[in-house]
Amino acid sequence: MRRIVITGMGIVSPLGNTPEIFFANLMAGKSGVRRLQSDFTDRLDVKIAAQADFDPLQHFNKNKTSMLDRVSQFALYSANQALADAQLDLAQVDKSRVGVYLGTGMAGAASIEEGYVRLYRDNLDRLKPFTVLMAMNSAASSQIALEHGLSGPNLTYCTACSSSNVAIGEAYRQIRHGYADVMLAGGSEALLTYGTIRAWEALRTLAKEDPNDPGASCKPFSLDRSGLVLGEGAAIVVLEELESAQARGAKIYAELTGYGSCNDSGHITSPTVEGQAMSMRAALASSPLKPEDIGYINAHGTATVMNDAVETAAIKSVFGEHAPKIPISSTKSMHGHLMGAAGAVEFVATLKALEQQAVPPTTNLHNPDPKCDLDYVPNQGRTGVTLRHAMSNSFAFGGTGGVLIASKI
Amino acid sequence: MSDTLQTLKKIIAEKLDRDPESISPENTMEDIGLDSLDTFDVIFRAEEEFNIKVTDYQAELKTLQDVVNLIDQLIKEQHPTT
Repeated sequence: MRRIVITGMGIVSPLGNTPEIFFANLMAGKSGVRRLQSDFTDRLDVKIAAQADFDPLQHFNKNKTSMLDRVSQFALYSANQALADAQLDLAQVDKSRVGVYLGTGMAGAASIEEGYVRLYRDNLDRLKPFTVLMAMNSAASSQIALEHGLSGPNLTYCTACSSSNVAIGEAYRQIRHGYADVMLAGGSEALLTYGTIRAWEALRTLAKEDPNDPGASCKPFSLDRSGLVLGEGAAIVVLEELESAQARGAKIYAELTGYGSCNDSGHITSPTVEGQAMSMRAALASSPLKPEDIGYINAHGTATVMNDAVETAAIKSVFGEHAPKIPISSTKSMHGHLMGAAGAVEFVATLKALEQQAVPPTTNLHNPDPKCDLDYVPNQGRTGVTLRHAMSNSFAFGGTGGVLIASKI
Repeated sequence: MSDTLQTLKKIIAEKLDRDPESISPENTMEDIGLDSLDTFDVIFRAEEEFNIKVTDYQAELKTLQDVVNLIDQLIKEQHPTT
């Protein structure tokens, strides 16, 4: 069976737009959560979010920028960064064997909303000619293929919060089973629009703003957690087959050793212990590893009342006596919940943890919930650890989980 | 030079971030650097500017002058008093 490695990474995030800056900020416990900078913030009940500092005109010309929804801008920039990082000379590879799999939750939300504003608020009867092309769910992955002439498999996964872990896992299977040699995989999300935030408010899953420090509003595994903070950004990794990566002398971040995805089929929003455990078990079963080999877990850790207790119980169910020995962090405490991009951004955090032998913290954890009694690396990251195998969890509304395992080579 | 041409040059220059004086009516849309989708976008912006509605995309719009003629024709039809 072919072995698959990660040779490049790219990111746009609320904590910086390179993997190095992003991870340094995680280790320093910095928060990307703040008052939303928008012309509609005053009208919102929840006024905090984790925004990316990203000016498209620094990366694309004006005409191109006007034809790309923000979700595609993030994706294209991250893909270009990941390809450059991998130092993959596309002129030297068969591009029909290079594909793109992305995850997204709301895709071109801003373009759809802009269209509705024109039609229903402004009573206009015409939409921009690019509306469909900017809003369609597959826009971001298509734009990457177009930019680089990549004619291998190109798919977009929409499984809500687990979309990009599923995209990365399915891309891994494409190479593993011989349908492609190189895959760009990850996710992108740009949903900080008035309508989308209002819809999330209505679901009552958003964190209350911390009155003393808005940046500390997302409190995973804490007794006073009140929900998630919406975030935006993208992350994309380059996956390729181990032997060809070695043959071209590529820098190898890690091997992707496991992937599992199941649906807990219980409730549209409430996760189940068995459902989350199933995805983790499936990932372990697809790898050569035993539960006790896992040395770090980047948790889903949304900071909703329901998820964090269920995830704790699921980890205990999978790892048994080993569970309390595993450092586990929810980096969402710092970068917020990037929905369709969450898994990919957290996978980058996991890969950097393996590379730097350092575990990022769960911040804002001063008042642990007794139901969340594992080692959540509270408030202070750890350096100088010995880490060989790490797991990254994503679970989702709708029930589809996606769990990835990466191993140091 | 017609107002329509000036306005279209301004729209295209703004879209492509270039000098309007570098664009002339004999240029084909392709020479200017606009594919068929870009041309739709230019027409969309012109519709807003001139408060007209282009319902027929059948007309062959090869050069910028073709677009100017189409817009002028529609202004005449849709705003006969101006």
